[in-house]
Amino acid sequence: MNPLHLLIVLLLLSSAGYYIGRKKAFAVAGGAQGIQKLHSRPVYYGALTAMWCGIPAIAVVAAWLAFEPSIITGLVLNGLPDEIRSLPDGMLNLLVNDIRNLVDGNIVSAASDPMIQQAADRYAHLKLISLTSLTIASVSLSLLALIFIRSRIVPNLRARNQVERIVRYLLIACSMIAIFTTIGIILSVLYEAIRFFQTVPVTDFLFGLKWSPQMAIRADQVGSSGTFGAIPVLAGTLMISMISMAVAAPIGLMSAIYLSEYANRRIRDMVKPLMEILAGIPTVVYGFFAALTVAPFFRDTGDFLGLSISSESAMAAGLVMGVMIIPFVSSLSDDVINAVPQALRDGALALGATRSETVRQVVIPAAFPGIVGSLLLAVSRAIGETMIVVMAAGLSANLTANPFQAVTTVTVQIVTLLVGDQEFDSPKTLAAFALGLLLFLVTLALNVIALVVVRKYREQYE
Amino acid sequence: MNKMPQPTESSVGSCRSRTIDIVNRGLKRRYRAERRFKIYGITAIALSLVFLALLFITIVGNGYSAFRQTEIKLDVYFDPMEFKDKLAADANYLAIVKDAMRSLFPDVSGRRDKRSLYGLVSTGAAFQMRNMLLKDRSLIGQRIPVWVPADDDVDMLVKGHMDRGLPESDRRLKDKQLAWIDQLAADGRLHKAFNFSFFNNGDSREPELAGIRGALMGSFYTLVVTLLLSFPTGVAAAVYLEEFAPKNRWTDIIEVNINNLAAVPSIVFGLLGMAVFLNFFGLPRSAPLVGGLVLSLMTLPTIIIASRASLLSVPPSIREAALGVGASKNQMVFHHVLPLALPGMLTGTIIGMARALGESAPLLMIGMVAFIVDIPGGLTDPSTVLPVQIFLWADSPERAFVERTSAATMVLLAFLITMNALAVVLRKRFEKRW
Amino acid sequence: MKKVLTLLSAAALLISLNAIDAMSARDYISIVGSSTVYPFATVVAEQFGKTTKFKTPTIESTGSGGGLKLFCAGVGAEHPDITNASRAIKSSECKACFENGVKEIIEVKIGYDGIVVANAKSAPMMKLTRKDLFLALAKDVPDPKGGENLIPNPYQTWKDVNSSLPNQKITVLGPPPTSGTRDAFVELAMEAGAKEFGFIKAMKKTDKKRYKAVCHTVREDGAYVEAGENDNLIVQKLDKDPTALGIFGFSFLDQNADKIKGAFVDGVEPTFDNIADGQYPVSRPLFFYVKKAHIGTIPGIAEYLKAFSAEATWGPDGYLSEKGLIPMPEAERMKFAKDIQMLIPMECK
Repeated sequence: MNPLHLLIVLLLLSSAGYYIGRKKAFAVAGGAQGIQKLHSRPVYYGALTAMWCGIPAIAVVAAWLAFEPSIITGLVLNGLPDEIRSLPDGMLNLLVNDIRNLVDGNIVSAASDPMIQQAADRYAHLKLISLTSLTIASVSLSLLALIFIRSRIVPNLRARNQVERIVRYLLIACSMIAIFTTIGIILSVLYEAIRFFQTVPVTDFLFGLKWSPQMAIRADQVGSSGTFGAIPVLAGTLMISMISMAVAAPIGLMSAIYLSEYANRRIRDMVKPLMEILAGIPTVVYGFFAALTVAPFFRDTGDFLGLSISSESAMAAGLVMGVMIIPFVSSLSDDVINAVPQALRDGALALGATRSETVRQVVIPAAFPGIVGSLLLAVSRAIGETMIVVMAAGLSANLTANPFQAVTTVTVQIVTLLVGDQEFDSPKTLAAFALGLLLFLVTLALNVIALVVVRKYREQYE
Repeated sequence: MNKMPQPTESSVGSCRSRTIDIVNRGLKRRYRAERRFKIYGITAIALSLVFLALLFITIVGNGYSAFRQTEIKLDVYFDPMEFKDKLAADANYLAIVKDAMRSLFPDVSGRRDKRSLYGLVSTGAAFQMRNMLLKDRSLIGQRIPVWVPADDDVDMLVKGHMDRGLPESDRRLKDKQLAWIDQLAADGRLHKAFNFSFFNNGDSREPELAGIRGALMGSFYTLVVTLLLSFPTGVAAAVYLEEFAPKNRWTDIIEVNINNLAAVPSIVFGLLGMAVFLNFFGLPRSAPLVGGLVLSLMTLPTIIIASRASLLSVPPSIREAALGVGASKNQMVFHHVLPLALPGMLTGTIIGMARALGESAPLLMIGMVAFIVDIPGGLTDPSTVLPVQIFLWADSPERAFVERTSAATMVLLAFLITMNALAVVLRKRFEKRW
Repeated sequence: MKKVLTLLSAAALLISLNAIDAMSARDYISIVGSSTVYPFATVVAEQFGKTTKFKTPTIESTGSGGGLKLFCAGVGAEHPDITNASRAIKSSECKACFENGVKEIIEVKIGYDGIVVANAKSAPMMKLTRKDLFLALAKDVPDPKGGENLIPNPYQTWKDVNSSLPNQKITVLGPPPTSGTRDAFVELAMEAGAKEFGFIKAMKKTDKKRYKAVCHTVREDGAYVEAGENDNLIVQKLDKDPTALGIFGFSFLDQNADKIKGAFVDGVEPTFDNIADGQYPVSRPLFFYVKKAHIGTIPGIAEYLKAFSAEATWGPDGYLSEKGLIPMPEAERMKFAKDIQMLIPMECK
């Protein structure tokens, strides 16, 4: 039996628990006629039993499997001679890798030492013992829980409340993941960002108007030093996001309105998924499209009109990115518009409003919070997008208000700095982390503002 | 509703027909506005569909030819001398292929000429011989005709991506090679066949052998993990925040947090994944499991935000009615509100998954932007994903990778469309207008 | 509906769980590092995987710096065995390696990569000198009116730089400052060009820092366009814009000879033979580094090294040269082949 089979057995036990619990509930109530005597509906007794059967046992299995490898490895290593145990950690790790390769029957490195072979046998043996005892432990735990909870089922057991409490805890746990992710992100960029600020002053970074990480790659090139002013990079991000929103917001919103208010069902069912494909086309493809079709078009038009338009323009990147995020606006807005109660529309129409008046003055305000949510998501996507900008807008950090010039964005800089060839402890690499942190903080501030604004508007319609 | 024509006090008082006059007077303008509004909507949809069509045409136009591969027919002789005194697996299959080529053009001599002659067939031909022989030992001593893949340059020429009119020095194929190819074509030894290796092979540096199977499996495993983790968690989090959580500072923090996470550049999630899953939990590099974990963290905010928006749009009357007939709060949410909000949640999930399917940047940090030939067999085998494969091929110097890049994109889109179709079916089942 | 959903998710759960069980030890070589070496290392890895009993090594494209960071993080199965680099390891990196327990590193030079300046086939042939490149691309150049002072680069067209060049706007698409290609280009082409000005050359002795700053700083007024590391994209952009020049590795010129042509630098055309015998001045070495501690415990490393250093691989007629790698001279090949055979670790400088 391997852990997978064990898990299946436990899940089966748990679903058996559901039926046993429900049956018992019917039994104590005295059949289907007596169920009003029960505190909760019989399914809750079943669910409660299933939870008791499944959750603790599966938790035990998970914990066991998490600690099993390190415990077994420790035991195996303890059985090895002293001169091997005194090897540095890295070498021990390699040895263990060798042993595991042997156990799994993989290709092993050339030397087949009888001692290693012995250790491998021991490893396999311990693993078997571990699995057997785990199976016994978890299955008996599950059965014990089943018996225990079955005996507790009486008509006034508050099963529903207990089930609901467990569900509530699960929900809370899920919503906490976002917090942990945030903490994790901050922690994983903070350390390197602090190292960056040890070489480059924070004020230079925050208020510097010039971004030019031309710093020597090797130590013997004393070379030019870089300037790391984040303003042009942030401004570039802002400009490209604004251009793309200028494309996506009207197109997306109007499509959403048309689809949910005017189009007949057949068209809506066809067009909506089609538009959603736009969000899934790999950004590399958009990048090539922007760089090789849209950007030259702008340049040629510019030449024709006698304007100097860079072949790497913010406009090209922003436009194409706008196309990519249309579905974020259209699909999500369509859903919320569609969810506005028909009664509101009927009321407005009955008062003699035309359809567009109904949409503009009744439906949109009612759907406003959802629409703002979809717009926020679209902006977020635009800020976080990388590939299109790398390919179409380039990496030159110009501080400019002219959308036909080349600009760069935070994400682009992060990627190029991280995958560059420079040494990994140079400020150039570390700047990526500082930029990540900065962008994080900037968007955080924007989101706080957005929350306050949305709340103000939302209250008008609730 | 200040723009609606309202009867003024005086008009109501003086004459009833005047209201209708005012309405009628404005009617033309209002109908015009109505038509304009409708046209805006149609234009918007048309624009996005035009963009989509444009992208599709570009991709398909570049990529359709990759589904066929030029092959050359060789008369291969498995010379028993080659298999003397050694394992069948170790025989010199390259020599067998070279012999077969030489037998087609016996008058080619000189080291350089021979080299360019051998260059017409793919290096994969030798491995094909090897696999054939290992499957059937009785071939030793036989002479059989076999179609083997042609080199990518030959393939490009046959497909018309190489201009014969250029001076010899600017062409990848020289004049002699062109003559040989023409002769092969005249002898019926050159044809285009369905490119099975594109679907069966893992990555390769030889375009004619490169396939997407490995990346496809990698994408599949990664997405399964992402979907399993992010959809239930995202919905649960949204339900809690929207339906249960008290409205206080704490939930405000969570809300701002989630909105903010949606704007975090994807590569930063890669940094997080490297720090947490690889360095802290010690999970293996390049594994779809880790990729799935990172991508689910990345898609969670999208799903949560979309789910919250759709929960918010369920009218309060539904909730009140449920509570009114004695449902508990949990029952109200799970039996009535959630089913109604599900279409919107599914939309959020589709968009989130579509993004996860097309994302390559965060995978860079956890080692999935890699050259991986062996097809992954599980969640912890090293693997790559389709968008990464597309990205890597797009950066390869060989010309033949251009069409393969587009072909891989087509496969990715097919994957995406299937996924969307599934979700649309689900969405339709749940959708309701009231 | 609910049943379908449950069934679907159950099936997906089963598939994924089934695979988790395969969590096992590493029995393949893990290689990270430079995107420039990637196209060459992958060819060898593929051949290696097909011709031996070992699994095909996985090769990540992380950039030289990122690769060395992973490589130097420690010894053990979770750390990579080999890192590719488009530059030599730095002493600070070597020290970081040492501190993390990676004490013995074997350095292998695999060959050279020519860096070419190219433009579209339809554009006029460019015959540049390194001095032209310096004057066209540096941020500060010697005052054209004479004297020994530096002024911000005033040149707008190639004709301004050198009257024998065509009268077209200077637009050069090249790699960003984080790239090793850029670094090598700046050092080999621009610095050499700058040296032709006596007073700049003299600066090297008096004020080395300033000297490097003058030679290595590329102008940022739009004439030099940082175009990312996707060389294919640069090739296609050149094809669409005949007035632009691009800087990238030789293999891309080799593969796209029908679309673009390489500019002469100091009178030498960038061809395979010219780069190989050192006539073409702008080429840089490529490396990889191996953890000695992993040899013998991770299966296949020694065999991989042997396969890489075979004449059929990196020799003048080897299959790497077909992919555009410029082979080392014979003596150098012998030296590194010997290093590999004897597993001689490098000294940290």
